[in-house]
Amino acid sequence: MSNVAAARSGEHLPGEAGVWVFILGDMVVFALLFGVFVYYRAADVPLFASAQLSLNQSLGALNTLLLLTSSWFVVHGVEAVRAQRATLARGLLAAAFGCGVGFMVVKYFEYGEKLRAGHTITSNDFFMYYYLLTGIHLLHVTIGMAVLAYLWQRLRGAIDMDAQLSAVECGASFWHMVDILWILLFALVYLMR
Amino acid sequence: MNTKNQMWCVWSGIAFAIFFTLGFWPITHFMPPPSPTMSAAEVASMYAANTNQIRLGLLVMMGSSGFILPFTAAIAAQMKRMEDAPSILTYLQLVSGAVGVVFFIVPCVLWSVAAFRPERAPELIQLMNDAGWMLFLMPFTTFIVQNFAIGIAILGDRSAQPVFPRWVGFFNFWVAVLFIPGGLLTFFKSGPFAWHGLLAFWVPFVVFFTWYIVMFVFMRKGVLAQASVRPA
Repeated sequence: MSNVAAARSGEHLPGEAGVWVFILGDMVVFALLFGVFVYYRAADVPLFASAQLSLNQSLGALNTLLLLTSSWFVVHGVEAVRAQRATLARGLLAAAFGCGVGFMVVKYFEYGEKLRAGHTITSNDFFMYYYLLTGIHLLHVTIGMAVLAYLWQRLRGAIDMDAQLSAVECGASFWHMVDILWILLFALVYLMR
Repeated sequence: MNTKNQMWCVWSGIAFAIFFTLGFWPITHFMPPPSPTMSAAEVASMYAANTNQIRLGLLVMMGSSGFILPFTAAIAAQMKRMEDAPSILTYLQLVSGAVGVVFFIVPCVLWSVAAFRPERAPELIQLMNDAGWMLFLMPFTTFIVQNFAIGIAILGDRSAQPVFPRWVGFFNFWVAVLFIPGGLLTFFKSGPFAWHGLLAFWVPFVVFFTWYIVMFVFMRKGVLAQASVRPA
């Protein structure tokens, strides 16, 4: 239970050190992508501002809500693993996975709406970045959901929860990163004036 | 014990990095890459102006790519220590690394075709130039498979003295992700995703060489550790 004690004292690094190489590395990539977006936006603010008006902020906000809810489920899933409650943990991970499915469904309708309105990846710079940034993020959502499914499978019939904790924390950390990146992406692409 | 041969294979990674960069940078002047927005006439004049230099540089690049193969074999030798039989990830790394070398050799030949008859129709030279750059930077396929095979093998190594530190496994996943934007160059002639852009060229270029250095350092350590356990 030393992990739990360390977690309470705030000195515990979730998961294992190595996974943070990937998470921080991936965040560097997104920082680069966001930097590129802001750089090209600054070069043509009127175009970016007018094209942004055709985005559906409600769907973006709905997706933000879905990911925040999924993160809440994941947090409680990790707590359930710490409390040795495998069944509860699996249920919470499945709920988080369900939010991920919801995110994808919303994205499906959102992309459909854009394409029907004639906004494609080659329409202009704004839509190029819109499709690329959201697309690369969606790829991360997919990977994150695969990780959640893997953890769900791993916890099936697991007896020693302490042995599962590190893997669950690694996956949870990745999922929270996917959530945080969406919030930044939403603010930059959908909301920034 | 073949410590000496293994060490030669590990060092061949450094040989590749040095000679390939030498051909790519100071000899052909392909660094920074020529813009995809260049007209056919501009591309043709680039090949006409430095014909022999480009031919020589490409020859050096093509030849130096051979050093990738012993390096790939050395990675496989270390991976085999991480895995139990039937060491499927070791085989996967070996085949993907072996196919990956094609994307260094064949672009050199395509660019050489462009430099072979610089007096021919500019559109044809542009076609060969396009084909070379796209074949060089677009196919992330085998590299991603290779990186994932290595990463999964490192994380699966449960021995008391793991061959590689676990973060190197996660590092390999990260490298795999960074190769993906290269695939997008097919849509763009300018901006960060074009073949001379930040995310299709500069990031993968820096990441690829960083990967070589990280892998070299830990493979060298691995071989030395192996030699100290089982004396030659």
